[in-house]
Amino acid sequence: MAVTGLIWVIFVMVHLVENLLLFAGPEPYNRYAHFLVSLGPLLWLAELILLVALVAHVTAAISLVLENRAARPQRYVKLRSKGEPSKRTFASMSMIFTGLTLLLFLIIHLKTFKYGPGIEQGYVQVIDGKQVRDLHRLVTETFHNPIYVIWYVFALVFLGFHVRHGFWSAFQSWGAAHPRYTPILYSLGALVGVALAVGFIFIPIWFYFFVGG
Amino acid sequence: MSLMTLHLKVWRQAGPDQPGRFETYTLNNVNPHMSFLEMLDVLNEQLIKEGKEPVEYDNDCREGICGMCSLVINGIPHGQLPRTATCQLHMRHFNDGDTITIEPFRARAFPVVKDLVVDRSAFDRIIARGGYISVNTGSAPDANTIPVAKEKADAAMDAAECIGCGACVAACPNASAALFVGAKISQYILLPQGQPERPRRVLRMVAQMDEEKFGACSNHGECEAVCPKGISIINIARMRKDYRKAALGLL
Amino acid sequence: MATDITWKEGKPVDGKTPDGPIETRWQRHKDKLKVVSPANKRKFTIIVVGTGLAGASAAASLAELGYNVLSFCIQDSPRRAHSIAAQGGINAAKNYQNDNDSVWRLFYDTIKGGDFRARESNVYRLAQVSANIIDQCVAQGVPFAREYGGLLANRSFGGVLVSRTFYARGQTGQQLLLGAYGALMRQVDLGKAKIFPRREMLDLVVIDGKARGIVVRNLVNGNIESYAADAVVLCTGGYGNIYYLSTNAMNSNATAVWRCHKRGAYFGNPCFVQIHPTCIPVSGDYQSKLTLMSESLRNDGRVWVPKKKGDKRPPTEIPEEERDYYLERMYPTYGNLVPRDVASRAAKRMCDEGYGVGETGRAVYLDFSDAIRRLGEDYIRDKYGNLFEMYEKITGENPYKVPMRIYPAVHYVMGGLWVDYNLMSTIPGLFVLGEANFSDHGANRLGASALMQGLADGYFIIPYTMGDYLANTLPEKVDTDHPAFKDSEKEIQAYVDRLLSVNGKRTVREIHRELGLLMWDKVGMARNAQGLKEALEKIRQLREEFWTNVRVTGSSNTLNKYLEFAGRVADYLELAELMAIDAYHREESCGGHFREEYQTPEGEAQRNDEKFSYVAAWEYQGPQDPPVLHKEPLKFEYVKPTQRSYK
Repeated sequence: MAVTGLIWVIFVMVHLVENLLLFAGPEPYNRYAHFLVSLGPLLWLAELILLVALVAHVTAAISLVLENRAARPQRYVKLRSKGEPSKRTFASMSMIFTGLTLLLFLIIHLKTFKYGPGIEQGYVQVIDGKQVRDLHRLVTETFHNPIYVIWYVFALVFLGFHVRHGFWSAFQSWGAAHPRYTPILYSLGALVGVALAVGFIFIPIWFYFFVGG
Repeated sequence: MSLMTLHLKVWRQAGPDQPGRFETYTLNNVNPHMSFLEMLDVLNEQLIKEGKEPVEYDNDCREGICGMCSLVINGIPHGQLPRTATCQLHMRHFNDGDTITIEPFRARAFPVVKDLVVDRSAFDRIIARGGYISVNTGSAPDANTIPVAKEKADAAMDAAECIGCGACVAACPNASAALFVGAKISQYILLPQGQPERPRRVLRMVAQMDEEKFGACSNHGECEAVCPKGISIINIARMRKDYRKAALGLL
Repeated sequence: MATDITWKEGKPVDGKTPDGPIETRWQRHKDKLKVVSPANKRKFTIIVVGTGLAGASAAASLAELGYNVLSFCIQDSPRRAHSIAAQGGINAAKNYQNDNDSVWRLFYDTIKGGDFRARESNVYRLAQVSANIIDQCVAQGVPFAREYGGLLANRSFGGVLVSRTFYARGQTGQQLLLGAYGALMRQVDLGKAKIFPRREMLDLVVIDGKARGIVVRNLVNGNIESYAADAVVLCTGGYGNIYYLSTNAMNSNATAVWRCHKRGAYFGNPCFVQIHPTCIPVSGDYQSKLTLMSESLRNDGRVWVPKKKGDKRPPTEIPEEERDYYLERMYPTYGNLVPRDVASRAAKRMCDEGYGVGETGRAVYLDFSDAIRRLGEDYIRDKYGNLFEMYEKITGENPYKVPMRIYPAVHYVMGGLWVDYNLMSTIPGLFVLGEANFSDHGANRLGASALMQGLADGYFIIPYTMGDYLANTLPEKVDTDHPAFKDSEKEIQAYVDRLLSVNGKRTVREIHRELGLLMWDKVGMARNAQGLKEALEKIRQLREEFWTNVRVTGSSNTLNKYLEFAGRVADYLELAELMAIDAYHREESCGGHFREEYQTPEGEAQRNDEKFSYVAAWEYQGPQDPPVLHKEPLKFEYVKPTQRSYK
């Protein structure tokens, strides 16, 4: 869980930075998107790694949840957190829920963008004399759909929670714990979670209100 | 301090495979100086006088070290006071008129024996698989031939303080025994005496932990909060690192 | 009007101690002990009852040798035995501090501390093996306190001039026990030992005059179970809980030793009880146990009571000139550092005379304000922080601001089943180890010596003497179908049913509390002939009341803790009588046994070496008949008995 989760955290961070290109306008963004696609086998390899990590992560998560449910067949009538130094939070308790929501989000997200309309459907921009897919237009249009924006915001808040527990947890599970550095990692987890959520949410909100469709 | 009236919602269960239920009892004249277990003693005196069966709850030393007392009090194993076992929780931390819910530790690996008493023998079976250093009596060299850095000895002692009460399992949303096992393994990771058996110990103890059907740790850290000795989850990380290395043959 | 106390005198008993130079007695004795061959060890089964320091170490060591070990305990796990609660440390004559410690000095301190009522041979052996214990425990990974250089740290302990105490924070007993428990669990893993938790030993089975097994009650389902063996090792601890309130755990009890006594094992010095001066006082009738505060507190705390009787002012409002620092007044030289028994008796006297403090008037102040003024709060926190915290947890008072209230409490019993030099009782094949035997501590135990004795017995003595017994006896095989087992099972079942059928009006706790108060008043810190006679009368009445008016609810075929308690209290009601008789017969004061009639003009314990330099080993004769006293004379060839004075 730790390794596969961290792979996705790294991907998501890179993805956020990439997406900031959206603000640079259609041309740089579409150029970059085209560049990625043109990598061919290298991109496929990256996608394969992500896919394997995802499958492993989800499989492990589901079996873990089932195992852990079974480990306490008779539930407590009342069980609550004792507080400090417990790290039991909404984030830690809802990992499977936020995780499965993110999986759903991912599927929809891929369908909308990666496998969404392209050159054939008229989403075209000509850059350096070449026809490339106008992904920027697709993004702009999509983020003017209020339902999509609400769903996007909701799912990315979940991403924040998921990473908030997942990030430091990965280090703890890997065995990289230290009396001095673990607390820093724990705080860093919160920071990364909030940064990712805020960063990603910023995009649809901004496009919805400020970028003409 | 004035005496209190308390309402107790106590889990009663006749045996392992019987259904349990809450019974509510009212106790008058509870002295705030009583310990929680003494309060239950008073309840039992009352029940016996009424010809009823007393409530069963494990306890022994009543000074926070034997690890026999348990109980989930208002949703928290050993109650709300930090670094305190049930036997050292006193009634002055409750208020007149309170309703207190008392449940047994719940985990598949800790089946209920009766009422609030659970069977924690899974812990013994885990220890049997390596919670020791294999030395026969009489074969030890002079004690001071094995120097141990004070910091390491202190850290080993931090882990060794575990009283084996099982509150970590009880509080864990996953009913995981990682803190208990991690603490024992850590003690020996930190000491030179523990090195020869290090890979074997972690592999065997973790295998037994899994066999006992505890849940898996997902780092909620609730165990550390309820531990009467405040044992840190760093010990879990130490165990996992050793386990990973040992499983790959790298330890 | 009190009944007369009677007993009969029997033949002396022989401790079978070796003679010759004391330094080589144990070695020469071992050289003569027979050894069982490895092939034959496999054929022998040994029962070990109790899993404290003595029991766990014995079970592990015997299994390592190749014997089949069956280990029984009353708790849900062997790791919970009450040795776990020992705080201070364990003594060993290592002389790591270069302060001129030696086997001889540890031997001398223990004999003198025991007020010359222990066997020289045993105590010397104890001092000799003490060093091996530390080696063994360190090899097991016990995290003893260390110096920065990586070597073991030591501290000094009450009444001793050298630093010979090894410790693991305030949890030395826990760490030593977990080491021994680990060793036992290793043997479980190897298939040489089997553990039987939640079992209470209710009878010893004696066949052809030899201990051949035990009958236990399975505390979970109430089944009466029999186990046969070639020898039985009893490590069931002390009987301090006879006083109802003590520092013992709730499950500590006398039943196993008492049932063995009734089967023929002599009881040694039952009246020798240690009362610890610094415990947290009783706060009400509901109180179930007392908690010890390490006696090291008396290094910096000053003990006092108000000069005015019944002074109810808060301690901080009582001016200096109205306080009586009575220990400093009565013992100007030793002051607050007088030995345990002296400090305990003085506190009792002050409270008896009406100077006691707190809600109940059964407490004295232990005041740190002077030390805090002189050394600063941080210094005190550093030294005693965990103890202050524990005090506050229990009492809700902050001892940095208000003086602690303390009172003496029953802590340890020096008395127990009589054993010879091989630790074997008067029943062949029944060995008794640790606090359960009448022990090496004479009439008073020194601090940090209980852990030492338990582990010495289990790790380093029984593995040798057991082999000799088995090799000499070659016990024939018996199994649990033997009529002796069947008869015992029937008796036990009838006994359990009887406890449930009285159906009277008083709870077990009420009767136990009444017995405890009586024992505390009359057979406690200070005893006298008249009081002992009255006690005996009342014990008999209470026993009568128990069997006609006790109420035990629930059934015998499930977990039923109050049924267990009932059986134990029934045994206390018999043992109490023997304690009173022993206290009455010993017309002297020594160590923890203080007879008011026998004191020096200064009010100190006055021994009578001419008449009482012996171990009193009592033989059971039946419920109605007076016991028989067998004396084991004590010879002091190396340490000359002297009178203790602390003025």
